[in-house]
Amino acid sequence: MQSSNMINYDYSVAKCFAIATIVFGIVGMAIGVLIAFQMAYPELNYLAGEYSTFGRLRPLHTDAVIFGFILSGVWSTWYYIGQRVLKVSMAESPFLMFMGKLHFWLYIVGVAVVVVTLFMGITTSKEYAEFEWPIDIVIVLIWVIWGMGIFGLIGIRREKTLYISIWYFIATFLGVAMLYLFNNMAVPTYFVAGLGKWYHSVSMYAGTNDAMVQWWYGHNAVAFVFTVPIIAMVYYFLPKESGQPVFSYKLSLLSFWGLMFVYLWAGGHHLLYSTVPDWVQTMGSIFSVVLILPSWGSAINMLLTMKGEWGQLKSNPLIKFMILASTFYMFSTIEGPIQAIKSVNALAHFTDWIPGHVHDGTLGWVGFMIIASLLHMAPRMFKREIYSKKLLEAQFWIQTTGIVLYFSSMWIAGITQGMMWRAADQYGNLAYSFIDTVNVLHPYYTIRGVGGLLYLVGFFMFSYNFYKTMTASKAIEEEPQSASPMAA
Amino acid sequence: MEMESIRELQAYGYAFASFVFAMILYGYIYHLYTSKKKGGKDYEKYSKMALNDSIEDSPVEKIEPSNEDKEER
Amino acid sequence: MFHWLEKNPFFFAVGVFVVIAYAGVVTVLPDFMNSARPVVGTKPYTVLQLAGRHVYIKDSCNACHSQLIRPFKSETDRYGMYSLSGEYAYDRPFLWGSKRTGPDLMRVGNYRTTDWHEHHMLDPLSVVPGSIMPSYKHMFSNVADVETAYAEALTVKKVFNVPYDEKGMPKLGTYDEATKMALAEAKPIVDDMKNPEVKEAFARGEIKEIVAIIAYLNSLK
Repeated sequence: MQSSNMINYDYSVAKCFAIATIVFGIVGMAIGVLIAFQMAYPELNYLAGEYSTFGRLRPLHTDAVIFGFILSGVWSTWYYIGQRVLKVSMAESPFLMFMGKLHFWLYIVGVAVVVVTLFMGITTSKEYAEFEWPIDIVIVLIWVIWGMGIFGLIGIRREKTLYISIWYFIATFLGVAMLYLFNNMAVPTYFVAGLGKWYHSVSMYAGTNDAMVQWWYGHNAVAFVFTVPIIAMVYYFLPKESGQPVFSYKLSLLSFWGLMFVYLWAGGHHLLYSTVPDWVQTMGSIFSVVLILPSWGSAINMLLTMKGEWGQLKSNPLIKFMILASTFYMFSTIEGPIQAIKSVNALAHFTDWIPGHVHDGTLGWVGFMIIASLLHMAPRMFKREIYSKKLLEAQFWIQTTGIVLYFSSMWIAGITQGMMWRAADQYGNLAYSFIDTVNVLHPYYTIRGVGGLLYLVGFFMFSYNFYKTMTASKAIEEEPQSASPMAA
Repeated sequence: MEMESIRELQAYGYAFASFVFAMILYGYIYHLYTSKKKGGKDYEKYSKMALNDSIEDSPVEKIEPSNEDKEER
Repeated sequence: MFHWLEKNPFFFAVGVFVVIAYAGVVTVLPDFMNSARPVVGTKPYTVLQLAGRHVYIKDSCNACHSQLIRPFKSETDRYGMYSLSGEYAYDRPFLWGSKRTGPDLMRVGNYRTTDWHEHHMLDPLSVVPGSIMPSYKHMFSNVADVETAYAEALTVKKVFNVPYDEKGMPKLGTYDEATKMALAEAKPIVDDMKNPEVKEAFARGEIKEIVAIIAYLNSLK
């Protein structure tokens, strides 16, 4: 035992971000459900004049879930895991405490500004990088503060070697920093021309170059927000919740370097058959397939961690969430490479199969991991047991059904549309007008909307469960070593 | 510079760097899997960092401020 | 060597950075000069067209419409000649899009008219039965921001040497000249339109967003 006299881990920042995760999750997903139904029932575009049209809401949905829900989740778990595996409390450093709180509040301000500007239609049009330069500066500031928090905490650690989750958090920090900076290079027009809107800017890159930089960013933002930090979570929470050490720590290290190296090459697969050079396209395609190896390395490592302990899958819903998340990770990391094969991409690109693919990764893998992580943290942060196991079980099945409806309908929709676009009659003329290919999708858009709605309902159940755990659940005396305590 | 020569440099750079990275990776794999036998690190012990992570648990490898560098190997 | 890296956070971070930055240096950087060369005949956007492009971006038209024709017979039959890299030389940002909920618009100027766009933006269903595109009524009341468009054109001229004011290229001139030219360019479009509100505003010297975006869409060829 250590001589530390009554130091405790300080979760105040982790709690703030956990609540932000839930709030932004609800907002982002609710907008998502609305725009999903707008595609089936266009009348829903007119709820609030120009501010509720699909065009304005779509960037708001993607940014709210990526930079609101997911990033808050990442940060909440960082401020929890970071202390624990480095065996140092934030309370030991007033400076780090201050930086943590500054990080949170600056982030909240940033989000508020983003919401307002996106409703107003102030956007650069680049996907997941829609923010104009003043917001970019705030984002860079937030990122630097987080980085200081990471390396500050590492600087005062008691554990000499960095646990694999910390590796992944560091990679998230560096990767996003590099990608974001390069993709958002722009010249503010007001400072050159002296007139026009002060916040307007024009991209440093033109045309094909802009596309290459954007998808180098877009693809890898997916890597460093949807994959890397979520792997950090699973490497901590699954072993901890199940009480089983990682199946092979060596494999986890290897997969890390493999993923870091390979992921960045694959961005070209977003631009197959476009005007970027052929070799970039081919390279993107090949590396996408190679990417299966490190991705499955991590996923298999997770599944094998449960070796001999599969009974827990039945008794502990959190394990169920995490194992299904790992399974969805395997699923979407095989689906992605398939879509990156040139001939498949010719059919799938621009269709609904792409959002389908994104969502089985985000809803299944990212969403489930964040939900399970937050619920694992709750009893330890609030010293109360999880409010309801029954509710959690019900949520699991409702959300899983939602995901299945979502991706199955989008598969069918995507492939149908892709086939109809290229279908020719016996004389070689196009068989369908464009609107034919839209109208045929109506039932699938409706099913997708229902799938999304089920997921949202499940998320509300989670939020209620979390809130009750926070406020009204039975107190626990001692921190549980592994499985999180929950009331029936 | 002509596009041709840029392409050529790019190809050489790419081939060379790929080779180097691949060698480092294989070296790393070799290192990981032989290190325990040679009396070096047992990497699997690090998975304990997640399991025994209470602030009262003793670290897997403690930081010794005085002779930090000598402690390993 | 390896273990040393694992417990030295700074050098570990450097190592990670090298590994992730490497791909970008090899794939993204080298082609910059090559694909930036415009195809013969490609011209930068006029101020009015640029203002329309801003409207296109403001309402995220690119969320549902691509501007990239792939080299397949089914696409060239439907949308026209496949896209060439040099055609995008003046597109900042690029607007290829990633989803075709609606059709590609790369060469929409070849087969749609001002009249068609006016009706379609106001009530898509009246032109294309079964369309799921929302109506963009607010484009008929919002005023286009010619000033910012001019600022952008001047910026790219100064910073990136975009050939405004050169022989055979669109003229930019001073801001006053540019607004006059924008009005002159908007006139035939407004004349083709039927909406009285737009016409009245134009008589007062105001260019509505709908006029600018139609100018932009008509320029896509």
